[in-house]
Amino acid sequence: MNHLAEKYSEEIQAILAKYPADQKRSAVMPLLYLAQRESGYVTKTAMNEIAELLGITATEVASIVGFYSLYYDKPAGKYRIQVCTDLPCALRGAEEFLEKLCENLGIRVGETTPDGMVTVEHVMCLAACDKAPMFQVQSGEGLSYHENQTVESAMALIQSLKKGASHSNKDGHP
Amino acid sequence: MAKQVTLTIDGKQVTVPEGTLIVDAAKKAGIDVPVFCYHPKMEPVGMCRMCLVEIGRPVIDRATGQVVKEADGSPKVQFGPKLETACTTPVSEGMVVVGASEKVKAGREDILEFLLTSHPLDCPICDKGGECPLQDLTMGFGPGESRFIFDEKMRMDKHVPLGELIYLDRERCIQCGRCVRFQSEIADDPVIGFYQRGRSLEIVTFSEPGFDSYFSGNTTDICPVGALTTADFRFGARPWELNNAASICSQCPVGCNITFNTRREARSGGRMVIKRVMPRQNEAVNEIWICDKGRFAYHFTEGGGSGNSERLTQPLVRKNGELAPVSWDEALQVVAERFRQAGSGLLTLAGGRLSNEDLFNLRQLTQGLGGQTALYTQMAGGDLVAQVGVGQGTNFADMGAGSAILVVASDLHEEAPIWYLRIKQAVERGAMLIVAGARPTRLEKYAAHVVRYPYGSEAAAILAMLNSLSAKRPNLPEPVQALARSPELQAAAKAFAGAQNGLVLYGSEGLGLEGSQALAQACANLLISTNHIGRANNGLIAVWQRANEQGAWDMGFRPRTDLAEAMKSARVLYVVAADPAGDDPSMAEAGEFLVVQELFLTDTAKLADVVLPVEAYTEREGSFTSGERRVQRFYPAVPEPAGLKADFAVTGQIGQLLGLDLEARFASKVMLRIASQIADYAGLDYVRLAEVVEQWPIVGRGDVYYGGTSYENSQGLGVQLAPAAQRGAAVPLAWPEFASQSHSQQASAEGLLAAPINRLLDRGQTVWPSTLLHSRIPQPYVALNPADAAVLRIPSGAMLQVTLNGTARLAAAHLDENVPQGVVLVPRSMGLPIFGPAPVEIRRAEVVSA
Repeated sequence: MNHLAEKYSEEIQAILAKYPADQKRSAVMPLLYLAQRESGYVTKTAMNEIAELLGITATEVASIVGFYSLYYDKPAGKYRIQVCTDLPCALRGAEEFLEKLCENLGIRVGETTPDGMVTVEHVMCLAACDKAPMFQVQSGEGLSYHENQTVESAMALIQSLKKGASHSNKDGHP
Repeated sequence: MAKQVTLTIDGKQVTVPEGTLIVDAAKKAGIDVPVFCYHPKMEPVGMCRMCLVEIGRPVIDRATGQVVKEADGSPKVQFGPKLETACTTPVSEGMVVVGASEKVKAGREDILEFLLTSHPLDCPICDKGGECPLQDLTMGFGPGESRFIFDEKMRMDKHVPLGELIYLDRERCIQCGRCVRFQSEIADDPVIGFYQRGRSLEIVTFSEPGFDSYFSGNTTDICPVGALTTADFRFGARPWELNNAASICSQCPVGCNITFNTRREARSGGRMVIKRVMPRQNEAVNEIWICDKGRFAYHFTEGGGSGNSERLTQPLVRKNGELAPVSWDEALQVVAERFRQAGSGLLTLAGGRLSNEDLFNLRQLTQGLGGQTALYTQMAGGDLVAQVGVGQGTNFADMGAGSAILVVASDLHEEAPIWYLRIKQAVERGAMLIVAGARPTRLEKYAAHVVRYPYGSEAAAILAMLNSLSAKRPNLPEPVQALARSPELQAAAKAFAGAQNGLVLYGSEGLGLEGSQALAQACANLLISTNHIGRANNGLIAVWQRANEQGAWDMGFRPRTDLAEAMKSARVLYVVAADPAGDDPSMAEAGEFLVVQELFLTDTAKLADVVLPVEAYTEREGSFTSGERRVQRFYPAVPEPAGLKADFAVTGQIGQLLGLDLEARFASKVMLRIASQIADYAGLDYVRLAEVVEQWPIVGRGDVYYGGTSYENSQGLGVQLAPAAQRGAAVPLAWPEFASQSHSQQASAEGLLAAPINRLLDRGQTVWPSTLLHSRIPQPYVALNPADAAVLRIPSGAMLQVTLNGTARLAAAHLDENVPQGVVLVPRSMGLPIFGPAPVEIRRAEVVSA
């Protein structure tokens, strides 16, 4: 039984319709996003289901998941707080910000809070060096940027996320 | 002919066809450009950077379009600022390539130093050590020491089973991607892939069940490090301890050239044993690949194992009802005496795994006594192959645009994997493939036309193709006329007829001997009528079930449809390399006296009055004739065990006791007799069969880094025979007798017809002793359509009692919607007695309490 195909039948048809019938495999990335939205990460079952939908092997699907850093193959918090710590951001205090944020949450980088809501990660350049410390929040709801942050503003955001308030995109980034 | 380009590589002038890559041009000129990721059989990717060279190109004056000259009149050459990859850069006129410079040397040192930062350097315990490109190129081009810190090396898993047959050592992997590219480009079975990026990159499989590809072993040959090893050879021996012996794979009619690697070892009691099978290059047969059956199923030659797979070691004669060991003299005397008494009552039944020399002697002996011979097979048409071809010079590698290939009644991926591979490649070069079958097979993915017919209408489908081209024979039976109205079939027929070259491969799926005869004749008719005979890359190929069935036909053996009766009425039955009683218990009623010549104590041998033990083909010389009618020599790989003789020698000695002039000592001398008596083999001898010519790409020798560890062919490419049509003989059309029974008439009361199919890995005598393969071989099963199963209330996987040809056996039910309704697919050599289409009864087996 193909769980994804059943639950998201219409959405999958809409995705597949964007590609020529003989190049169905091109739909692998949008389908992976769909699967990730469903479970918070791409499960092995989902990889098999996508492979079946597209007529490719599960290994081919998996290698896409492995290659791109925005696909996850392991469960984590509902919200991923991804802090850029590359050199320009570090010069504007991103490393210290990350350290303090983790301290406040009582976790280390890469770990998830005990309530399963938030995972903090450090990532490579997010193209907002001038507004560091900054991070993006990734979840099933999509991506949002948060710039010129302090630990206090970040904690406030996290509290609102935990309460279920939607985190609207305030800074005009996609 | 492609335009030729002249360039200079390290001061040497080289002329090669336009489009050639620098790395290949250098190799042709005898200059080594080291590579890891590049492989001459695959598209270049430029990933490893090992092939960096300096490349200069002549400066062209933009105004005049002329080459700018230096003061001395030589062309002015402009070098790029950086090193470039020789593996992705095609040659161009006047190009100057420099590999022997300080800049290139420094580049190579840096790349190797970099690669080694993540490599464990565990050469002393690595299977690849001694034939390892990384080891060789590090010695040749690497820096003496590393600036990196040993303790910061990546530590990764060292024993990862990618499947049952292939192990991965993640630490050793240098991320060249040759294995991933092989599976995707060449095998088109992308079940291994890259995962993660950069230093964390890993080779993985997410497929179920793992790295389960029929070509998986080839990845270990082209892996430039010890990352991929086979479960068979892993930790088995060091490469430098191994001897090598040229041979031919005995598992299917492709006739892949192989090399047996052997060594004498204490753990085998001081015996010389086979440690592994490697491909040996023959660009006209298997290129540099072999399938996993060829690589891993050789263990049957070793004996050991359980049940019937123990090798026979001495002659046995039945005394007081028991088989008792006797001397060769006694056994041969008993046999000769019985043969003399039998005279024309002798029936010699031979199997298609025997060599040409064995079969020739068997026929000489039997004919000398006035007896009869029979080939133990369910396929016919070897005589037609000898008449219409394939033509001499046939090579799948030469087929491309303008060539049409028709495959009928065969699942080539299962029956002859290397032909599957080569036909796929021919299609990629532009050849037009037609697949005619009763159910979908893997090869259809590449087909331009698919012709679907019901089981039982194999010959009808081909005749319908012919009929749609010209109404040469108007009174065709109804099934032919019905098929002939299919537009898809008509389009396929037109395309086949219009092609410059036409080749037909026919198999035995769904067919018994009679159906096979009709199909072979229908195929021959199609070829004759469309004038696709007597030329290279045209004609007929039979996908035989055993390696040398074509040779058996050439030596004069024919199958017989009345075999069971003939066996019963024979005064003496001489069964060689066949096990009729094991295949079908109803064949166990032999005639008056039964002589069995065998490797194993088969079910037939257990019934015998005399059992003559013989050498395995790995222990002696001989020749096989492939499905493409290429006669190829195999050489002894291990010494003959004491007390055993080769088949031709046993037969020869029996003949000599009977006063017949037979050669019993040298296989080479039997071949001389074959050449003098069998017209198609005229002029052949072992020297000619051992001739070689230079092949491209260069493999083996000292540069395993380039083509992998496949062996260079220095022991013979074999000789492809010319069919009668190519020698100017007229080949008449003949119309096959139609089996008048339609499917419904043949089916059982339940309306079910059993159709035989062929599996690559089965429970046959030459596969099952390789216990390594057991995980890839299912329990006995039959496959049926889910709709039929629903009517019969059979759930998937249920245990069934299958009654076929009067024998009831247990088998699991596989439900498969690709199986046509009303048909039960029964795999051959899987424990169920199936020979041709037959009525079958199936019912849920009673659950037996233990």
